[in-house]
Amino acid sequence: MEIFNHLMQGFAVALTPLNLAWLLAGSILGTVLGMLPGLGPSTGIALLLPMTFGMRPDTALIAMAAIYYGAMFGGSRSSILLNVPGDGAAVASCFDGYPMALNGQAEAALAISAIASFIGGLIATIAFVLVALPVARFALRFGPPEYFCLMVFALAATAAISKEALLKGVISLVLGLMLTTVGLDFQSGVPRFTFGSVELQMGIDFVVVIIGIYGISEVFVNLEHIAQQITRPVQTKFGRIWISMAQWKRSIGPILRQTPVGFFVGVLPGAGGTIAALMAYNNEKQISKHPEEFGKGAIEGLAAPEAANNACSVGAMIPMMTLGVPGSGTTAVMLGALLILGLQPGPLLFEQHPDVAWGVIASMFLGNIACAFINIPLAGLLVRVLSIPPKILYPLVVVLAFLGVYTINFSIMDFYLLVGLGFVGYLMKKFKVPTAPLILASVVGASMESSFRQSLMLSNGSLSIFFRSGISNALLIAAFLSLAWPFISDWRARKKREKSVDIPID
Amino acid sequence: MRPNALVGFTAIFVGIVYAVQAFHLPKAMIGNPWAPVYFPIGLGVLMAALGLLMVVLETRKGLTNLEGVKRPKFQASSLKLIFGAAALCILYALIFENLGFILSTLIFLGALLFLINGPRAWKLNTVLTVGFTFGAWYTFVKLFQINLP
Repeated sequence: MEIFNHLMQGFAVALTPLNLAWLLAGSILGTVLGMLPGLGPSTGIALLLPMTFGMRPDTALIAMAAIYYGAMFGGSRSSILLNVPGDGAAVASCFDGYPMALNGQAEAALAISAIASFIGGLIATIAFVLVALPVARFALRFGPPEYFCLMVFALAATAAISKEALLKGVISLVLGLMLTTVGLDFQSGVPRFTFGSVELQMGIDFVVVIIGIYGISEVFVNLEHIAQQITRPVQTKFGRIWISMAQWKRSIGPILRQTPVGFFVGVLPGAGGTIAALMAYNNEKQISKHPEEFGKGAIEGLAAPEAANNACSVGAMIPMMTLGVPGSGTTAVMLGALLILGLQPGPLLFEQHPDVAWGVIASMFLGNIACAFINIPLAGLLVRVLSIPPKILYPLVVVLAFLGVYTINFSIMDFYLLVGLGFVGYLMKKFKVPTAPLILASVVGASMESSFRQSLMLSNGSLSIFFRSGISNALLIAAFLSLAWPFISDWRARKKREKSVDIPID
Repeated sequence: MRPNALVGFTAIFVGIVYAVQAFHLPKAMIGNPWAPVYFPIGLGVLMAALGLLMVVLETRKGLTNLEGVKRPKFQASSLKLIFGAAALCILYALIFENLGFILSTLIFLGALLFLINGPRAWKLNTVLTVGFTFGAWYTFVKLFQINLP
């Protein structure tokens, strides 16, 4: 009852005309920023930060939260239409979203991504209201060894996405981890692999890696098609942006199953929307009766990560708001904004400023509805991007990618890195080396190494620290099972085939 | 050679070079001097080991046995376009801060469109270049308040 009263108080705050206007503006801005490669929610919120200085704290947080989940909605638009993820969390939406668009199902892909995002976001917000404090307390039990094991699990699960090329998946993963070692080592101040460059001391931003490996390499692959006069079948006439009953039935299970996964990953500091989406995709692929359809336009392969990344964006706000610990890069920016506004994030926020805390929570319900309305009608306009000839579209994508990358660090070094990573991604695609593990590793690599070293410091160099707690053990077992699962399922399929051969035909 | 074997050899090469470079990294002044180096060395060794494993697995199938293997094709016309675009990207990086966003983007996007869309569509290329450059400048500088050179 107490929670209900607080929530009602929150709705009263969120429904004031000013807050409602900023909620809508944030949702639209977030959707647009999410669509543009390189301009994800963290960049969007960082850009909005100076604007929030003149706002009331509740208005500022409501606007920033709206940008966050608006970007989660919008990020998938460019994944589906261009195979270029708008932000990291939309990476997994490329796997089946783009093939769906190529298969002439762009309408269904756009509709299901918005519907899945809406359901994921809504359920996660309800969960936020109910379990904020208990879940955050559980996340508090995670020490460095548990974080390291969580990263190992997330990476193992991603490498196992590519069942056919597990070894190449792990090579890709290690390459991604290597990229994260570039720059100043923040624990000792030692420069690593900077080759004397001042710009490289800050490391390689994972957004540069994502845009290079996905965006630029995709442009290179498409230039090949242009040179060989290969044209992709592009749908020019579109029907109603909606899904059939059969597609709904296929999607609702994955949405409901992966929403809690995304929410839980979001709650854990360090793990973000990219991990949530990739884990959700991997989970659905592994439990699917038709895993061979994944990567070729399976609707559940799009619905699952979309639900998970929106649930994650809500979950990530829990530790930020209740503990003062950011759950993702975006919430880190929001945390900074809270401090600038004179609010001390943490449990006291709920006691001293309940109007702000519950106002933001209530605004998430309204924001999800707003985003769903923005994204489904807007999708009708966006699908027309597909009818633009690739010869025109790709040069524009290249300029957008460069601009997006420049706005992160304002460093020209990122331009060179972008081209280099574009070539690496192109070669990886030519040699069928999966790129997703590299992306994930580049996102979690720095915090993974930091957790690893903190753990070793705690144990005086003994690796046994990773096997001491139940949480670590459970995560390591899950990691092992993820890597072993492709072999187990192959073995089971072989057994099945052998059995069927043993049956006498006549 | 089988494409996977080539991936394996590349992984061995990258792993060894990276591990050697990691070994020669400066050591920490405080605490364990080798602390910043352990993780990179581990990664280098792991990469080389994975590459070796891949090469061994491919050797079993016959390194030069290409039966049923799809080799990646690199056609001259494609490479010309890809390297041309990459060269323009490098040029963009070189001139971006010196000439400023508008002038460098007009040159870069114009050249890229002429390369990819062809010189025959010069009217469309020109309109797109000018329109997109000023549109992007307005969006970033005026709407998003991002300072561009």
